[in-house]
Amino acid sequence: MSSDLAFALRGVSAAAGNTFALRDVTFALPTGYVMGLIGANGAGKTTTIRCLLGMYPIDAGEIELLGHRAPEPVALRQDVGVVLDHTYLVGDWRLVEVERTLRPFYNRWDGARYRQLLDEFGLDPRAKVKDLSRGMAMKLMIAVALSHQARLLILDEPTSGLDPVSRDELIGIVGDFLLDEGHSVLFSTHITSDLDRIGDYLTILHGGRVVRTGTKDEILEAYRVVRGGPDDLDDRVGVELIGVRRTQTGAQALVRTEEADLLSGDVLVEPPTLEEIAVHIGARVPHRDPDHRADRRQPDSSMSARRVA
Amino acid sequence: MRVVLSNSAGLPLYQQVKEQLGTAILSGELGEGTVLPSVRALARDLRISVITTTRAYAELAAEGFIATVPGKGAFVLPLDSALVREQLLREVEGGLQAALDAARRAGLHREDLIQILDGLIQAEQYDAIQ
Amino acid sequence: MTTVARMAVLDLRTVWPYRYYSLAVFGLGVLVFASRPMWMVPGLVLLFTSQIAPYPFNVADKAGLETLYAVLPLSRRSVLYGHYAWATACFVVTATAGTALALAFARVQAVPLGDRTLVPMLTLSWALFAVNIAIQFPLLVRFGYTRVSVLGTTLPLAAVVGTVYKLQLNMASIQNWLPLLGAAGVAAIVVSAAVATTVDRRRVRYGRSVSST
Repeated sequence: MSSDLAFALRGVSAAAGNTFALRDVTFALPTGYVMGLIGANGAGKTTTIRCLLGMYPIDAGEIELLGHRAPEPVALRQDVGVVLDHTYLVGDWRLVEVERTLRPFYNRWDGARYRQLLDEFGLDPRAKVKDLSRGMAMKLMIAVALSHQARLLILDEPTSGLDPVSRDELIGIVGDFLLDEGHSVLFSTHITSDLDRIGDYLTILHGGRVVRTGTKDEILEAYRVVRGGPDDLDDRVGVELIGVRRTQTGAQALVRTEEADLLSGDVLVEPPTLEEIAVHIGARVPHRDPDHRADRRQPDSSMSARRVA
Repeated sequence: MRVVLSNSAGLPLYQQVKEQLGTAILSGELGEGTVLPSVRALARDLRISVITTTRAYAELAAEGFIATVPGKGAFVLPLDSALVREQLLREVEGGLQAALDAARRAGLHREDLIQILDGLIQAEQYDAIQ
Repeated sequence: MTTVARMAVLDLRTVWPYRYYSLAVFGLGVLVFASRPMWMVPGLVLLFTSQIAPYPFNVADKAGLETLYAVLPLSRRSVLYGHYAWATACFVVTATAGTALALAFARVQAVPLGDRTLVPMLTLSWALFAVNIAIQFPLLVRFGYTRVSVLGTTLPLAAVVGTVYKLQLNMASIQNWLPLLGAAGVAAIVVSAAVATTVDRRRVRYGRSVSST
């Protein structure tokens, strides 16, 4: 049981209806760091998280969570805190009731911490879950996640729909959580600025596949954003223009760093921001497979099915 | 301890951290034996990634400015005059190279450069007297 | 406290904000059967099992509690058995309160309600409850409350009531069948739980319209 990986996905594929929600997804996070999961809506971020937590069955590959191979023992959930973009509690529960309800299930529930966090976040214990604003609801779920001494925090688009102040507060909370080097965080978002500074590792998803994974610096180094006149960026051999955007005054695209030299001298080549990487990769239209035939699930597929949970 | 990061400095964050800490150590602001915050505490305070602070500390340690003790943190090493000198020489070289590049673009010659250098030294001596 | 019991308590807390609705249902049942104390317990039990026992499924559907069950250190088996335990607890409470009320009403109306009536009454109630739940729960697990809807919880009830009526059942006619009825009830629940565990693998996941990524 290796404890140096917070989690790992290896060759994970998951079907959804007739197509694949995830295809051959492989990435891992060493313990003690933040992994940002970036992708447009529909890229597969939430499905990935569900598969990781055993909420969604996978059809191929293997998953490892906190050193345990899936299917993990149910007791492992003591160590995992989950925050989604919606509360998964009964709306009519008051925040004190939430604690009373969840406490019996956790060995290491820390009631004092829960109440302290509610206080820090400015949440009224007598308030009902359904009366919380979006930002407050997210903070409630964080309070719950942090109150049973979890080692791994999984955040699925926690900042979507949040005001900048709340988003900033969340970043601070993540930083506090990581003071313990045994703690790790998976943070999925389509708002790249969340991860600009605090992301250690990144995984970029597109169309259910991993486009790239590695440290944030590696990924920023792997691409260049190129800008030129409308005619400067043409499709030339050896250079893939990722997510090229053409207007009357110019064109802009993302290219792999090693291919950047192949472009003619008139273009401006710069290191990209995370935002530009996400935007261009997300805009990419697959040329070779317009009907997604390769992704369509065959009824007589011989892939071994591996049910999780 | 003072570390102020700039979004528009153009320098990678780890380098900004490294240079600011390095400058503080060289100037004596961070004296020998000063305990530095852990990489995680620093990352939390500056709101940057742990890998970034780890890299900054690693490079500072490689250059002999600080020592990291696993599980305990990092502390400032005594300034090695040879180390300091080497660091400062590198800065001089870098500065002069930048000046040369600019001079070339401006079309200046060696004599013009030396004139400017003398002028600057004189101005400094003048300020020192004041 | 075992996990199954904890799950049953979770079901209780799930419907706790709506307890006044349950009390109203109970009150309605009492009113309806006040003049027929002999049928009070079966009547109340049936009412409760069709409305209140499946109520956690209703709330769970709307609040996305399936996610909560998946996040908590709670196996699917515990979740399912917990639902059944909750339903059984509903039966016990309803039968107890119902019996006490039936006895009270019977005394007021000078209707004899002795052991010879009580025992068949309770056994019949148990059997009716068990069959009702045995049909409902696997459907609720497989399809979720929203798809099963009120129809799915009321139809079994109607079927059971219809059967009782058709067979002209009364406390006297079932005297000889009591042990069988009791055992049949237990068997129904056990089989139902097994079926529910099987169909659970194919249950509708995330029927709630959250983002499909």
